[in-house]
Amino acid sequence: MSKLGAVVESVEKHEKFVLEQVKRARSDTKFGREMTERWNKIKGGIPIGRAPTGLPLPRLALPEIDEPGEIARYLFGDGLPGEFPYLNGAYREMYLEPLEEIEIGSYRKSPNGKNGPSAKSNGAKPKVIPQEEPTRLFSGLMLAEDTNKRFHFLSAHQRSKRLSTAFDGPTLYGIDSDAEGVMGKVGEGGVAVDTVEDMVRLYDGFEVGAPNFSASMTISGPAPIIMAMYIAAAKRRFGPKVVPNLRGTIQADIFKEVQAQNETIFPTEASLRFLCDMIEWTTEQMPRWYPVSISGYHIGEAGSTPVQQAAYTLSNGFAYAEMLAARGVPVDQFAPRLSFFLDCGLDVEYIALSRVSRKIWAIGMRDVFGASPRGQMFKLHTQTSGRSLIAAEFKNNLTRTAAELMLAYMNGTNSCHSNSADEPFTTPSEEWIRLAAHGQAILLEESGIFKHTMNMLSGSPGMKAVERAVEKAILEEFREIESLGGVMGAVENRYQRSQIQNAAHRYEQQIYDGTRPVVGLTRYRDPNEEPPEIELARTPRKRQQLQVNRLKRFKKTNAGKADKALRKLAAVVESGENTFPALLEAAEVCSLGQITGCLQELVGHFRPMV
Amino acid sequence: MFNVRFAARMASPVRILTAVPICDGHDSAINTINLEFIRHGIEVVYLGFHRYAGDIVRAAIQEDVGAIGISSYNGGHIDFFAEVVRQLRRQGAGDIAVFGGGGGTITPDDAKIMQRQGVDQIFFAGTSLAAMADYVRKHYGKPRKKRPAKSRSDLVLARELTAIEDAYAGQGRLKQPKSQKASARNSKVIGFTGPGGAGKTTLIDELVLRFLQNEPQARIAILSHDPSVIGEGALLGDRATMINSQHDRVFMRSMATRGQAGGLSPATESCLTRLTKADFDYVIIETVGTGQEALPFRSKLIDQTVLVMNPDYGARLQLQKIVMLDVADIVVVNKTDLDRAKAALSEIEHRLTQNKRKQELVATVAKRHRDPGVDELYEMITASSKGDKK
Ligand code: B12
Repeated sequence: MSKLGAVVESVEKHEKFVLEQVKRARSDTKFGREMTERWNKIKGGIPIGRAPTGLPLPRLALPEIDEPGEIARYLFGDGLPGEFPYLNGAYREMYLEPLEEIEIGSYRKSPNGKNGPSAKSNGAKPKVIPQEEPTRLFSGLMLAEDTNKRFHFLSAHQRSKRLSTAFDGPTLYGIDSDAEGVMGKVGEGGVAVDTVEDMVRLYDGFEVGAPNFSASMTISGPAPIIMAMYIAAAKRRFGPKVVPNLRGTIQADIFKEVQAQNETIFPTEASLRFLCDMIEWTTEQMPRWYPVSISGYHIGEAGSTPVQQAAYTLSNGFAYAEMLAARGVPVDQFAPRLSFFLDCGLDVEYIALSRVSRKIWAIGMRDVFGASPRGQMFKLHTQTSGRSLIAAEFKNNLTRTAAELMLAYMNGTNSCHSNSADEPFTTPSEEWIRLAAHGQAILLEESGIFKHTMNMLSGSPGMKAVERAVEKAILEEFREIESLGGVMGAVENRYQRSQIQNAAHRYEQQIYDGTRPVVGLTRYRDPNEEPPEIELARTPRKRQQLQVNRLKRFKKTNAGKADKALRKLAAVVESGENTFPALLEAAEVCSLGQITGCLQELVGHFRPMV
Repeated sequence: MFNVRFAARMASPVRILTAVPICDGHDSAINTINLEFIRHGIEVVYLGFHRYAGDIVRAAIQEDVGAIGISSYNGGHIDFFAEVVRQLRRQGAGDIAVFGGGGGTITPDDAKIMQRQGVDQIFFAGTSLAAMADYVRKHYGKPRKKRPAKSRSDLVLARELTAIEDAYAGQGRLKQPKSQKASARNSKVIGFTGPGGAGKTTLIDELVLRFLQNEPQARIAILSHDPSVIGEGALLGDRATMINSQHDRVFMRSMATRGQAGGLSPATESCLTRLTKADFDYVIIETVGTGQEALPFRSKLIDQTVLVMNPDYGARLQLQKIVMLDVADIVVVNKTDLDRAKAALSEIEHRLTQNKRKQELVATVAKRHRDPGVDELYEMITASSKGDKK
């Protein structure tokens, strides 16, 4: 049995435990009184803020219950935001405006989970730490300097610099820009990165070790190599002392590559080894880095149902935890550094999908893996669904994304990417990406929906109904995966892939048979619609050639050193030791393709699954 | 004219190849389209994602498809489609049409350029699945013209295999060709069979790697089978997982069983005969994942049969019923990294000793890079081939 079976049991046990507490609160008067007292204390400690109209509102909304059983159900079953099992949020407060006036003394928590300065009972104004904006826009185009320019454009007005990097096809597959047959793909759909020098150019002008800077890199197959290049570039610019200060995320999630995104470049086992080597090294040396972003986004976008998405993502997460624990990495070293990435589309499941995911993760990590609270929190990045955005009457995509953003924030996501309306056509132009960013600002800053009160929209009867149905269905999926031998066994049986493919086929069929109305396409279609004028981000041949020339020069300059570094890397791979330190050395003098090639020589190529 | 085409369509399913370009893993659209095409009676050879133009063209020629469908999302489509068309023409296979889509990433302006460069049709975002299937059936099912004899040998051979398949499809069972004398042929023929999920395809691909590495001149043919029902389509996907067999010295042909039970197609024997007359050193046949009682190879053409099993074959009782265990020359227990491997190996060994004839047993983990078990299997196969072809 893999640990997934134990996770199912722990969730069921937890549900039973909650019911017992409800009963006990009703039958055991002492316990019931304790519940009521705790509840009253919580309620009494909630600060009151004011909307611009003067309307007073609590910073945290709670259900209007006073019966001990119901209180127990809420506190144990859902938990306050920031408390086990985190249904309502990983943190006590998110998205809220800094509090100007505190009417009732209380404590606050800053979003990174540390205790913020507590409000003194003498009524002194607490010092306000501005929260980081959750907006994070994924971008990458052409060459490193072009993407760098886009990064500066996007972060110009942000307090915190949170950059999210998209790589081009050759980079995603660990191939050099000068390889045969890939020229046309260089700089398309993301940025071309071949060497540490590109990495230096990519984040030029940003202080990568600063506390308000974080970089996220969306790459998985060659993630350990790219991570090594990032570190090498940071060291070149700021010296070796910068390493422990580096903050950010690298996607690196291999399971979902095999299941949905198709960018695995080494056999699965070897890929997992390189990944775990990197996780082990970074969680020791770079305590502020998230070395894996366990992703459902790609599963969802490949066409899975929302439940499949959550179930496969969570089970992948538990499989990583199991692997790392088996390698002897202490749970409190790795668990707090695991982060998640989910899709948010328009299907009704998305009303509560992330909420339920957070709960299942917390229970599993606490009860099966013995993680402490920081390791139980499901830290979530959400992206609105690209697939829900369509070419016909594409400006409607603004509305779709807005609705999805609303769902994502109702689910308490910790950061979010909103797609641009030109998503079906191209890497977004500045016009549309600006609107996408503004969509988030309008929702979070302009509107009063999220900035005054935590739990503003949590816990409606409908949401509860969805939670329950979704949770049941996720556990059902877990059982199926467990019966196939756990995640690895299911992967080898193509289970996740075939489920996703069938769901995708059904999804497309449903569009054309009317089950899933699509405005502008199957409903209210404009018969006279002309193809829209779209500004396309295409990399000119001259830029592609520039990248190739730069790479060739790099290879020539470093030829001798590269050979040596690769020989050393090969020896480490054969020895079974942690490969990451050798990758760090190789990244200084080798290109991505050279390192990939060396590793493939040793461990083989990934064998694609249909 | 229309009637002729219609008749041909009835006879043999429309056959196309689909793939996703290099550095592109967007396979959701093509997977959906593949499923839809099969539902409409089309045979789809699927080459998978992240594929070089050269691999696509080689596969299309060997599989002798009517058209290549490419699904491209990561940009560079104008170059990529043009490269496929150019290579097809250069190799004398300009009669294979090229079509495809890429949602909104391929604009109508792009499509115009692409069509000028020889692409037949681009399907934009918002096209219904049924419309695409109809187009393919209407345009890519034309009967094939014979290729001029002076064409490259792969082209001629591929089309001859199609003619054989068409003949069987048209008239039902043809007379089986007389099996030839061993002297009349050049190749050693190895048949691989075994239950689904045993890892036959991976094993064969790993063997091919060893043939290619150790015998720098050797040419290899592979006939691989996937199940299909008469009059319906099929997804022929083995090629997608065969990374080493995408090679100029490997000729691979994917066949649908077209209603025949037992793991092979009605046309297999004739196709095999044809292949053994070509200049291949090895011809490998892979059956569909078979049931336990099946005995797929009755052909005299087969020099060596290999049964590939998975340690999870079930209870010992069933082992007695696996007829192939009596006739296989080599029994491979693959996936011996699984828990049950040891027990499985000793049970099978015991079962083989009852047969009292020379049979070999080998344990492999084909998915593992440089697996010594596969090396051993390679040795077994080649040892008996040198000079002693049956
Ligand atoms: C789903 C998706 C993904 C999924 C893919 C999952 C998978 N396994 O397929 C995930 C999330 C993994 C993904 C990742 C990436 N994606 Co993406 N993705 C999309 C998305 C949202 C939808 C594409 C899709 O499958 N649609 C469903 C199909 C069925 O419909 P359709 O596209 O409209 O196609 C119709 C027709 O064209 C036709 N058709 C399509 N192909 C074919 C082929 C044949 C033979 C025929 C007959 C017909 C046909 O069928 C459909 C019928 O109506 C598009 C944006 C969008 N909304 O279109 C971006 C998009 C394609 N992705 C893009 C990019 C950049 C990427 C990444 C490179 C991002 C990165 N840097 O990391 C990665 C690369 C992934 C990889 N491995 O290569 C870009 C491409 C930009 C460009 N070319 O300039 C797009 C346009 C988004 C954007 N604006 O940035 N992606």
